[in-house]
Amino acid sequence: MIQHILRRTLRSLKENFSLNLVATGVIGATVLLAGVYLSALQTLDRVVESWDRDAHVSAYFQPEIEVELRFATKDQITARQEVATVSYVSEEDAAAYLSERVEEVGPILEELGPEVLPASLEITLSQGHATPAEIQAFVDSIDGPPFEHVDYGQDWVQRFHTFLTLLRGLGLVLGVLISLAAIFLVGNTMHLVAYARRAELETMKLVGATWGFTALPFALEGCVQGLIGGGMGLLGVYALHQVLVARLEDALALALAGAELSFLGAGWAVLLLGASVLLGVCGCLWSVTRFWRKAP
Amino acid sequence: MIRLYHIDKRYGDHQALKDVNLHVAKGEFVYVTGPSGAGKSTLLRMLYGALKPTGGKLLVGGVDASKLPQKRLPFLRRNIGVVFQDFKLIPNRSVADNVGLALEVLGTPRAEIDRRARAVLNVVGLAGKEERMPQDLSGGEQQRVAVARAIVNDPAVLLADEPTGNLDGAMAIEVMEILMSINLRGTTVLVATHDAGLMKRFPQRTLRFEAGRLVSGQ
Repeated sequence: MIQHILRRTLRSLKENFSLNLVATGVIGATVLLAGVYLSALQTLDRVVESWDRDAHVSAYFQPEIEVELRFATKDQITARQEVATVSYVSEEDAAAYLSERVEEVGPILEELGPEVLPASLEITLSQGHATPAEIQAFVDSIDGPPFEHVDYGQDWVQRFHTFLTLLRGLGLVLGVLISLAAIFLVGNTMHLVAYARRAELETMKLVGATWGFTALPFALEGCVQGLIGGGMGLLGVYALHQVLVARLEDALALALAGAELSFLGAGWAVLLLGASVLLGVCGCLWSVTRFWRKAP
Repeated sequence: MIRLYHIDKRYGDHQALKDVNLHVAKGEFVYVTGPSGAGKSTLLRMLYGALKPTGGKLLVGGVDASKLPQKRLPFLRRNIGVVFQDFKLIPNRSVADNVGLALEVLGTPRAEIDRRARAVLNVVGLAGKEERMPQDLSGGEQQRVAVARAIVNDPAVLLADEPTGNLDGAMAIEVMEILMSINLRGTTVLVATHDAGLMKRFPQRTLRFEAGRLVSGQ
């Protein structure tokens, strides 16, 4: 029985070569699109992760606060679980830092005196406590005396997180649409294969073939299409990744904030390959079943 | 072998078969005849499970075909050979492959399929044409391939729906002679035809249908 099924599968692959090629190409293109999207999302996730890792808060002391209290505050904050590092920046350090970077400001600061800039604590939050909500909660907890102002660039961080959430949602919608289109395209291509073999399907049913015996070669055909199409799609994603790494990584280094352009991990690659096999098998079974039900 | 009890078949408002009662014994050769639309093809299609009756009971080889679930249908058909007027041969398969299909679905080993296909093609007078494609054969030869496919697995019942409808006189006689010889080997044969000349040349029990009713031959 297995011998008959394999023989019929090979014969159909050979006889319907061009239609099988189209179905394989559609699966390959779908996997390529999905792979590029997932790679881009992974890269963005790593960028965000690297930014989150460096989540930084500046807390500016009120001018009248004594140095002892400033250091006591620093010790209190350092002891907190969500804090990775805290460094104290005195008025003089701040003035020197600014003078060093903006030469024109140096003489003005000398005239006004070093105390014109506030002393501050530069706080880095530890990983796992660096989402916008967590940063905001931390800032809220320390905002107020002895600090005059606490800043972490919240607008920018929140906007980026909103953008990323939108991107994920959009990607999900696109992913669903692409998958539906792929199922439709593969299903219809396989429908053409089944249509070309409708006489065989009808005759097989009339001579006593079971649905399983008839459908199994089609399922195997879909499996082969899925494996080859999925493999080609993944190769395409890998090739695109290599080209981008070679040509764009330096240019994008700043925007990526040190994160690398990601290629799909092994897990995602296996998942995409599995999905493409499933797509091929389901498309084939769907089309053969439609003809099978119509046959007398 | 075949028993029908009060069989009705209705397509919407059209009554294709009305209260048909019938018994065909094992090994019998029976013609089913009548004008177009009388219900001949409907009866044959019911016998191989392509249609279900609207009412009544239908037994083929002891199996109640009127209540047979779809998943059991293949097993009924493995005991019934069917010959169609339009042959229903697979165009891109050789003569031997077309004949072997009925054995392939049973999981018969390839060597055994080849052996039995050659033997049965010999019976229908097509020895040496095993590797030809159906479209390279004449109408009569194609019909003989269809007959070979229908009998290759030694079915208990052979149904032939207008098997000579597309053939000229000489070819029709050849096909009928083959069907008679198959019957002589013990297979129950039902032939739907309205070819009075053939029925006269090969006289057998004749079931006559008119407007869905069995009017003679019970």
